[in-house]
Amino acid sequence: MTAHQGETPAGVVDLTAAPEAAAVDVPPELLAQSLSQYLRASWLRVRGGNSGVLPVVLGLVVVAVGFQIANSKFLSAQNLVNLFEQSTVYMLLAMAEIFALLLGEIDLSVGLVMGLGSVVVAELVQPTGANWPWWAAIIVTLLACAAVGAIQGTLVARLRMPSFIVTLGGLLILEGVSIIVLGGSLVSIGNSQYRNEVALYDIFYGSFSPVVGWILLAVLVGAAGTGLWLQDARKRRRGLETAPRSLTVMKIVIMAVAGAGLVAVCNVNRAHFGTIEGVPFIIPIVLIVLGACTLLLQRTRFGRYVYAIGGNAEAARRAGVRLASIRTWCFVLAGLISGIAGVLFASWQVSLTTNIIKASNSYVLLAVAAAVIGGTSLFGGRGKTIHGVLGGLVIGGIYNGLYLLGVSSQWIDVVVAGVLLAAAIIDVLSRRGAPGRA
Amino acid sequence: MTANPGETPSGTAGAGTADLTLDAKVAAAEVPPALVAQSLSQYLKASWLRIRSGNSGVLPVILAIVIVAVVFEIITPEHAYLRPSNLVYIFGLSTVYMVLAMAETLVLLLAEVDLSVGAVALIGGTIAFKLVQQPGPNWPWWAAILAALAICGAIGAAQGALTALLRIPSFVVTLAGFLLFSGILIVILGGADSTVSLDTTVPNQNIIYDMVQGLIPPVVGWIILALVVVIAGVVMVWRAASRRRRGLTAPPLSVVAIRIALLAIVGAAVVIICSVNRGSSLKSVTGIPWVIPIVLVVLGAWTLVLQRTRYGRYIYAIGGNPEAARRAGVSLPAIRIWAFALCSATAALGGILLGAFFYGQYSSNTADPGQLVLYTVAAAVIGGVSLFGGRGKAVHGVLGGLLIGGIAFGVSLLSLGSLSTPLQYILPGGVLLVAVLIDVVSRRGSVSGV
Repeated sequence: MTAHQGETPAGVVDLTAAPEAAAVDVPPELLAQSLSQYLRASWLRVRGGNSGVLPVVLGLVVVAVGFQIANSKFLSAQNLVNLFEQSTVYMLLAMAEIFALLLGEIDLSVGLVMGLGSVVVAELVQPTGANWPWWAAIIVTLLACAAVGAIQGTLVARLRMPSFIVTLGGLLILEGVSIIVLGGSLVSIGNSQYRNEVALYDIFYGSFSPVVGWILLAVLVGAAGTGLWLQDARKRRRGLETAPRSLTVMKIVIMAVAGAGLVAVCNVNRAHFGTIEGVPFIIPIVLIVLGACTLLLQRTRFGRYVYAIGGNAEAARRAGVRLASIRTWCFVLAGLISGIAGVLFASWQVSLTTNIIKASNSYVLLAVAAAVIGGTSLFGGRGKTIHGVLGGLVIGGIYNGLYLLGVSSQWIDVVVAGVLLAAAIIDVLSRRGAPGRA
Repeated sequence: MTANPGETPSGTAGAGTADLTLDAKVAAAEVPPALVAQSLSQYLKASWLRIRSGNSGVLPVILAIVIVAVVFEIITPEHAYLRPSNLVYIFGLSTVYMVLAMAETLVLLLAEVDLSVGAVALIGGTIAFKLVQQPGPNWPWWAAILAALAICGAIGAAQGALTALLRIPSFVVTLAGFLLFSGILIVILGGADSTVSLDTTVPNQNIIYDMVQGLIPPVVGWIILALVVVIAGVVMVWRAASRRRRGLTAPPLSVVAIRIALLAIVGAAVVIICSVNRGSSLKSVTGIPWVIPIVLVVLGAWTLVLQRTRYGRYIYAIGGNPEAARRAGVSLPAIRIWAFALCSATAALGGILLGAFFYGQYSSNTADPGQLVLYTVAAAVIGGVSLFGGRGKAVHGVLGGLLIGGIAFGVSLLSLGSLSTPLQYILPGGVLLVAVLIDVVSRRGSVSGV
């Protein structure tokens, strides 16, 4: 990069020619003109402490290889699908948590917002009770969870109460409210006679037929690939910096290969008796949330403001960003996404009891752990929603793998705590190593 | 202070204090009224100024305790809330929260937080109970307690080191610690369904059981009370006199007298309540639970450490402004690590009391570590300890713990049916939010805090 000063187009010259600091701060695809330049720039960024998703991908590989050696069932198609399914809840909660973490705040209530959401949605479709259609129940659940986020966000943003205390008090109250909504001791959506209960049940346990899975993949890769390509072409036409064409092609190919692998794994029959095969519905659900959040954070003014506040709230304020409303909206989104997780949770658990509601609290630790392991900073301003998905996969993999090995739940907690600490230490040390940051 | 720099004396107070009381409210709000006032009326006026400026001290929490007591007395069936037997039970229940809240206060004063106190407390209690088991280690009770305090202190030091040296946010370190020690707790207990209980027929184990369940006979209680009041009174008078002799400001004698009288009245009330027979007519149960003096000793110890030692002053200095403290030569990591260690050791004592309160039975169902820590933080903040550091005393933890215990017990008295479980969560959560709200608003209103 530094070698070809004269060849790069006007304007960028200074940046590329400049010392490592610039290279580290600017995304490599903006500077590199060829694949080899891109790789070199990426390496510089990693060295500069801006390692992105690299550590978590490495972590995934370590988890996969380690557990596969310990138990050859770990990477079987059957277990992998199981692992994906379990991880979706962690992924969603981690994505919810990222909206708070990016601001430099934290939301300790995501676990119980999920718990509340699961109870509300299950109660609303009870044929003996509210007996709502499943879609109306889901919409109302999501609205309720978003409203919880709005209240907490308002306390944090307008009154500047510390977020960890607001959400700590919030989770206590939510625990009580959830138990009240639960009413009796148990609510179940497992009755196959009722259409609405079945619809909810199928969110977690239903799958596309194998053929539909392939068609969806083709459509998705086609659409995303075209989108990427057109975007690049448009930028190039306007004379803006663009990633090299080879890189775009590589991204599309990686997407297609990963997607094909996923669909192939999901299409293996994973039932002991009969057939269960195909891509579970929840995988596209998570991908849609991921896509929407990524668009929101990376491509909109709102997203830029979120990063601005997380990087330096005072600077953002002086630049005219309305801190209070952006902060409140982030908590609303965290509540909304936790609500989606709640619908999944209800579907996953089938029967909800007081004890399951209480246990939903512990998911917040996993959510924070997943986000931080994924590469989102606890100090705000650094992170992407994809980090939540990857971190959630690591957490799901650890849980699943240890469970396969017959490790008891208390030791699993110990391991997850260790992973969370390690991720926090890496976060702190990498911030220290990064140039241009305090 | 900033108003008339010329009139106020340079260093110490002395003659110039009149300026402070008369003058800018800023100063009055900053300086404890006991130091400034020369008469009772001045003292009251200065106190009122402090309250108006957001430095209300223990007043709100005492008011809240009174309100809670009155409300529950009215709404509980048969107006049973304030019966002596129930009051003694509330003391016992609250002591756990009191001790844990005092522990948390040490860390909150630094503007840090320890979310692992609940889990660490339970670990401390389990260790102590395990070590006195007769077929087993069979340690003497004091050695078991010391070992539990030491182990938990080491746990706290480790967490403190991660926070203080690496500057990882304390709530993340202790969140991980919470998860870690909740897991280890079950491992130490020996499985999810295991219990460890004290055999009260063995004198060595019975002593730990008696820490909460044991009773001091009323007569001995009166004697102890008299001794405490006399000693405290003499110390107060003597200190005021010695300050006056050295030409320092001292609280007016009338204020000292009122304080001693208050101490005597509160103490006498406690002893009288505990002396009422709360058993049956066949088997009378009277006396003061040991745990009351135990909590008072802990309170005294932490008050001394925080108010009278250099270490305590450094804690307040760091909580107020860490950068200023660092430039003044305070070793931040050392103070912080010690605070976390002391917090966890105190929490271990709370855990031992918790086990004794549950009639010497320890199981994974004794208490939920997550709920315990929420109650703890709520107790400290409700008591008047600021979450933003630098403001709070050990006594705030005690009062906040009493309030939380009073609420928890009152809710359990009401025959709410299916609502009673949820209210056990909703009330502390609501109270915590209100307390923080007051903290935030009062800091905004106060002249000094930003």
